Amino acid sequence: MNSISKRSLSFLLLLTSLFGCTDSSLTAKNEGAHKYSIYILAKDGNEYIVETDQLDSGIILPEKEGAELNTREMDRSVIVKNGYYYHLNRKKAALVQYELRDRQLRAVQSMRLTKFSLENFHWLGRDTLLLTGLNTPDFTQVKYAMLNVAAMKSISEGNMEIPIPSGKFDNMSVGFVKKQDSKLLVGYTYHQELGLLNYTTSDTTYVTELNYPQMTAVKTAKDTRSTYPGGVNTVQTSSFEDVQGDFYFMDCPGIALGNRPELATGILRINKNETAPDPRYFFNISRSIGNHAYGMWPVGGDKAIVRAERKDLFKGLWDHYSTPHFEFYLVDVKNNKVINKLALPLDKGTRRECVLLKDNIAYISISSSAEGNFIWKYDLKTGALSKGLELAGNTDFILRIDQLR
Amino acid sequence: MNISKDLIEKYHRNQCSAEERDAVEEWLFSSHTDEGLQLPLGESKAAHKADIWKGITDILPEEVHSETKTLTEKPIRKYSFWMGAVAATIIVGVSGLGMVQLQRNRQQTDPELVSVNNTSTVKVHHLEVKGYDLSVGTSTSAKIDNLTGLVDLSGSILISPKKDITLQFEGSPDKITFKKDQTYIILKSKEGKNQIIVSEKNLMDLPPILQKQIINEFNI
Repeated sequence: MNSISKRSLSFLLLLTSLFGCTDSSLTAKNEGAHKYSIYILAKDGNEYIVETDQLDSGIILPEKEGAELNTREMDRSVIVKNGYYYHLNRKKAALVQYELRDRQLRAVQSMRLTKFSLENFHWLGRDTLLLTGLNTPDFTQVKYAMLNVAAMKSISEGNMEIPIPSGKFDNMSVGFVKKQDSKLLVGYTYHQELGLLNYTTSDTTYVTELNYPQMTAVKTAKDTRSTYPGGVNTVQTSSFEDVQGDFYFMDCPGIALGNRPELATGILRINKNETAPDPRYFFNISRSIGNHAYGMWPVGGDKAIVRAERKDLFKGLWDHYSTPHFEFYLVDVKNNKVINKLALPLDKGTRRECVLLKDNIAYISISSSAEGNFIWKYDLKTGALSKGLELAGNTDFILRIDQLR
Repeated sequence: MNISKDLIEKYHRNQCSAEERDAVEEWLFSSHTDEGLQLPLGESKAAHKADIWKGITDILPEEVHSETKTLTEKPIRKYSFWMGAVAATIIVGVSGLGMVQLQRNRQQTDPELVSVNNTSTVKVHHLEVKGYDLSVGTSTSAKIDNLTGLVDLSGSILISPKKDITLQFEGSPDKITFKKDQTYIILKSKEGKNQIIVSEKNLMDLPPILQKQIINEFNI
């Protein structure tokens, strides 16, 4: 064999090794150490978790490459950190730590957690997790469980000193929990059930300052500029702290949360070292966008991405999740300004955890009926938008994208 | 005394005089011929009566002792509609759960009409018919015509079809396909103004307050 044919052969071998390598073998390699996790609801009702190292390109078929979930035990209300998934199994009254191995989501260890309806998670340290919830089945008393996730052992549990609903109100929601020096701030509001399919929310956002770790009340601030702080943050993010230490949260009175659509969706701010919303700051999203919004993700500096509904495209709650009508806006929270609407396909799903930030690129998952399920890349420097990883096959909704490590 | 349909209805409303009550009960529990009941030619009254009693005894212990036992499909009961109602309503009298009627066509294994009126404010009623499993929420009235697919609902149900089925809800022109092996949550307010049909998989897209109501109601 002469040197030319030898070179051709090695080139051929190189080509084979390069192109013979499928996406599936790429995602399967180093399983257990991937950077990202994607939670899929398929058209046939199955649910999958897929782990991957990149969101920039390629195609994944969840039914071929993902771990099929036991949906009697698992749902998308998940906390993802350091390679593990934490999920509250209501029926078994246990908080379970999972990891994905050999295309299976396996329980690693668990901790008993009874009569607890999870409303919020907040990491107090690398292994210290604070869960805030409500008692079941009444949803009237704010409870907490602080635990060490390395051992899945409870550090402390109990009630927070927050007033139970009174007067006409019969249940409540917790929107955010934030550690502020030696105090804990809890944002919440109250609701009144008005029969099947109907409820209303108090016109007030409450923020109670608690002593930490005693969870006894110091004082409560009331703000009537809007209502329903946040939402359940294991399902969708709607608050963040910026690099200066100022905390932004969104009040969501639209029909998908507060059901007080006559009030404005707005962003409020608790300044660093303060314990109540800044009375001089209110970013009226409804006025700026002309619609209600749910979901807000920080994308660096003073910027955030807001996910807003299109009231002209859905008819009511019954088609709110299935009709593609959601739009994404880049906003400047510090200066109360909508920078621009992103030129993305209309997205479906009332609530989704759908934005990640890496190296000045916002990765935004879009479940579009017309254009398929893609992770889109939004370059925050240039404003360029392009399609990245595709979730194909049976994918119906990309319910979550998470940074796994 | 002639046992008329009106009299039986009066009996269910608990409005009978002592004399009327005795007459109805004597008729119900009697082994003699039923004066007021017309059966198609060639059908045995004794067989009907035996079937009705079998139906009652099959259901009775489940309903009395358990809140959420599945009402499994019973052998075909060949009785007239309103006599069926009598049997069913006796169950109601004992269990306080509401009224369950399964009207059957003898040629079919599916009931033509599934009609459940769950008057309880605490217990959910579970039914299994051939095409689907059904959970009927508290204070809910549900009528499903399995021939036409027409549903008249006031309240909340959970339906899990065993094959793809198409249903149409009273007051709406849309026909909706429910996929096999999925569970759907269907809520319709009494005024009929609001209706939500959502797969259990999309439960978290509903407002958390409604999610909590549904989770509590159906223990899902």
